[in-house]
Amino acid sequence: MSDPVVNVSDPVVKKAPDEAMELALRRIREADAAGKPSDLGGMALDQVVVNMGPQHPSTHGVLRLVVTLDGENVRDVIPVIGYLHRCKEKLAEKRTYYQYIPIVDRTEYVAGINCEWGYVLTVEKLAGIVPPRRAEFIRVIMAELNRIASHLIGIGTFVSDLSPLGTAVLFYMFRDREPVLDLLEEATGARMMFNYFRFGGVRFDLPPGWEQRCRDFLGRLPKLIDEYEKLLDRNAVYLQRTVGKGVVTRQDVVDYSLTGPLARAAGVPFDLRRTRPYSVYPELDFDVCTEQHGDVFDRYRVRMNELRESRKIILQCLDMLPGGPVQVGTLRPPYVITPPPGSAYTAQENPRGEYGTYIVSDGSRYPYRLKFRDPCFVNLQILPKLMRGNRIADAVAISGSMDLVLGGIDR
Amino acid sequence: MTAEIGTIVISMDELAVRLGEAFPGELADIRIQDPDTVIAQVEAAGLKGIARRLHDLPQIAFDSLTLISSVDYKTHFECVYHLYSFAANRYLELHVRVSRAKPVLDTVSDVWPSADWHEREAWDMMGIRFEGHPDPRRILLKDDWIGHPLRKDYVDLIENHPYV
Repeated sequence: MSDPVVNVSDPVVKKAPDEAMELALRRIREADAAGKPSDLGGMALDQVVVNMGPQHPSTHGVLRLVVTLDGENVRDVIPVIGYLHRCKEKLAEKRTYYQYIPIVDRTEYVAGINCEWGYVLTVEKLAGIVPPRRAEFIRVIMAELNRIASHLIGIGTFVSDLSPLGTAVLFYMFRDREPVLDLLEEATGARMMFNYFRFGGVRFDLPPGWEQRCRDFLGRLPKLIDEYEKLLDRNAVYLQRTVGKGVVTRQDVVDYSLTGPLARAAGVPFDLRRTRPYSVYPELDFDVCTEQHGDVFDRYRVRMNELRESRKIILQCLDMLPGGPVQVGTLRPPYVITPPPGSAYTAQENPRGEYGTYIVSDGSRYPYRLKFRDPCFVNLQILPKLMRGNRIADAVAISGSMDLVLGGIDR
Repeated sequence: MTAEIGTIVISMDELAVRLGEAFPGELADIRIQDPDTVIAQVEAAGLKGIARRLHDLPQIAFDSLTLISSVDYKTHFECVYHLYSFAANRYLELHVRVSRAKPVLDTVSDVWPSADWHEREAWDMMGIRFEGHPDPRRILLKDDWIGHPLRKDYVDLIENHPYV
């Protein structure tokens, strides 16, 4: 049989350079030249480079990991990102501030409302807009509902990576996420791509009867959380896969600027709702959930506890909810705003960590430069360090416990 | 390392004064942005030394690098280093001017490990090269992309889209 004819000038056939793979191979060659023996006693050349992703069921998106394996042990990991890059930051420069709000939802799509808040907060800081009190409470309620939905997905998909048992947990959580999305849909008009926040308020007031329906759901929530804990917390298989794996130290949190459950599980009480308070969070009574060991299990525990804290926050907000307008000044939001020249950075506590937005304004209707600090992008940097020396199966548990959303990482 | 947050209580004015005293002539144009950020200009040549000393500053060590932003001002670039001090619970923004003719800065990834990917992104998107970076590959775009899209004068080439 003759070789198939390959037209090398055809761009579809042209081999694209793959620097990550070359880097992995180069590191093996260098380790071999330095005479470092592998774990199995052989030389480094015994190692195998495996390409995990971008289409892999346990990466929850299009994360690609170039993994160097020595038997079953992970020697090196090179994350490759960018498969979901949609030029969000460049898009901002060609759109007015107002037109850009729906696009922010699509950066980290699991926690859309929280991302919107981060963006709106920065523009309000630049333009000096203060939303009315009722709008602030509604914002907190929506963001915390969104946090519950996001954590349910985060825990559910993570557990489903570990074992077939987890698939059951995943479906429990998807079942219970549905009423949260229904509540959000009723108030905002959308399940995930909300487009709900406006500069100086929110788009709609709460629909009639919504508060009672929200209370009904929150009344059911503690029993549901108990149910998950019964399934997981004392489960021998689950504990074996999670306890003591992928330990993040406090020094790592400082060095790698880790935020969110990753930092709090390591015992650092870094929560922007407390450390850099915004909106009405200073008036609300809630705990910053921390754990001590920083391993995979503790990260799961932090998310579980935060479900309860979010419930507490929403109940307080419903009790304190004042009357009045939900939009500053007129009934219609300011469609065209021109913040004065300058720059501002604000951060918002996203379910995954610090969601920062840096905006440079030149006084026109368009942002001159917009830059997102996505929590997953920053947290992902420590992945190679956590995975090195573990088994490949634990590597999946570690990446799952970081609750990565590639839409945010790649922007 | 305890990583306790806000153990040092320091007012914004005091922080600005102390930073000015610790870095005389190096941190220029110090101003305060409410509620908790100090903004200062830094010369590109002295960046590395300032970074090291800020990282090890007694009491108010800016030991965490949150973000590196890059901005194209047409006449020049600007890199903005967003630093955070766990002990003081305060933010510091270092604005560094980078010339358009020679967009090169020293890497700070050996001072703050989190700078690694931010610097790669600044290279990928804005074309600012970081001298001494351990792994200076592109990060979001593919390896053979031509140009740096977030520059204001960027022109998208057909060579970048072989499949259309």
